[in-house]
Amino acid sequence: MEDFLQTLEIFFNFGLPLLILMVAYFVGSTIEKRHFKNICEREDDLHGFPVVSFDTMPEDWNVSSCNMVTGSIVISLDYFKRVIAGLRGLIGGRIKTYEPLLERARREALLRMTESAREQGYDAVFNVRLETSRLANARRDGKGTAGVEMLAFGTAVKFASRFG
Amino acid sequence: MKFVAKKPREGINVSDVHPLVEAGTLVVGLTLIFVFIALLLIFLIEIALYFVSDETEAELFADWLPEDLVAVSPADDRLYETQLLLDRLSSHWIDTPYTFRLEIDDSEVANAMALPGGLVVVTEGLLDKVESENELAFVLGHELGHFRNRDHIRALGRGIVLSLFFAVVTGNDVAGLGIKATDVTLRGFSRKQESAADEFGLSLVHAEYGHVNEAWRLFERWDSEQDSSPGIVTYLSTHPQAGNRVEDLKLLADREGWQVQGDVRALQW
Repeated sequence: MEDFLQTLEIFFNFGLPLLILMVAYFVGSTIEKRHFKNICEREDDLHGFPVVSFDTMPEDWNVSSCNMVTGSIVISLDYFKRVIAGLRGLIGGRIKTYEPLLERARREALLRMTESAREQGYDAVFNVRLETSRLANARRDGKGTAGVEMLAFGTAVKFASRFG
Repeated sequence: MKFVAKKPREGINVSDVHPLVEAGTLVVGLTLIFVFIALLLIFLIEIALYFVSDETEAELFADWLPEDLVAVSPADDRLYETQLLLDRLSSHWIDTPYTFRLEIDDSEVANAMALPGGLVVVTEGLLDKVESENELAFVLGHELGHFRNRDHIRALGRGIVLSLFFAVVTGNDVAGLGIKATDVTLRGFSRKQESAADEFGLSLVHAEYGHVNEAWRLFERWDSEQDSSPGIVTYLSTHPQAGNRVEDLKLLADREGWQVQGDVRALQW
């Protein structure tokens, strides 16, 4: 009985976190792969739609209407990424597990913004900006992060006549 | 100005390292670093031992008690009798720098520990297991052996190092860290340290009673109880297995020519 309890304790102390870590890795990486595939497909679909970061409109753009468009995404990290990033935090350097996460967030936000512009019948978006904000965790001590929001916004315009 | 649609290549903003490779590198690398630091600190503790004398230590920890000690009532008979036995045994250790104190911890796990400042802690669980004074005397003598070899101070240093290490890794507050008896003792001693303490303990028992009868009977009983115990717990422990221990003790008594027959005193409570 005592040995059984000992084994159980070892399992809960070491086995369980390891199991969660493995599950988090497999689920997390599957989701990430699928998301990237999805992003690539939609980017191909939008290929040729002008999205630029000038803050003033080029003079030769003859515009009939304009509006602000936004696209935002809230994304969270999985346990695996968190643990690896925690280890990385001890010695510093590139947090390689976070890079694809934020890359997905940026591209998804831009895609949503662009898709919204196209849906509303606009021809281009200029003055595109990206903003990010951290969502606090529900934990009382205020430590930790629930996730990040990535917001893309810009001015969508409709051309009176084709430019260029 | 002409707008030309171009697609940048994939992976500009993402390091081309597989997450598992990153995980492996970090885990292995950090483990090596920590092992190195731990070894370095243990080495530094050994050096520090030369500079902190027994007397200084005895003075520093004269009134110290571990944070997690659950002491029995001071009126407990066993406390009085065991302290008396400890005093009798330590009287054979000429020029000891310590004034030995004894506490009984309210724990069911049979254990005894040597803590800084000449503090010996035995658990209720141990007192329940011993059947004669001679058995108890050897356990106490063994702990006195740890004091003589200064194992307790080494263990204290290592315990602090390990606690700090876990605090850093788990992100706990280091400032609020108190010294717990478990920090000091659960890490265990090496086999060599245990054997050396055994030798000294047995010599004290012999000096006190004139024979070593029943000194190791406690371990013999443990042996027969635990014959079928499966591996993992024993494997993790650095304590010598009772079996070898009894053999070693018998050999020692034989070598020194100590009597193995003699009157056994009953427990005084």
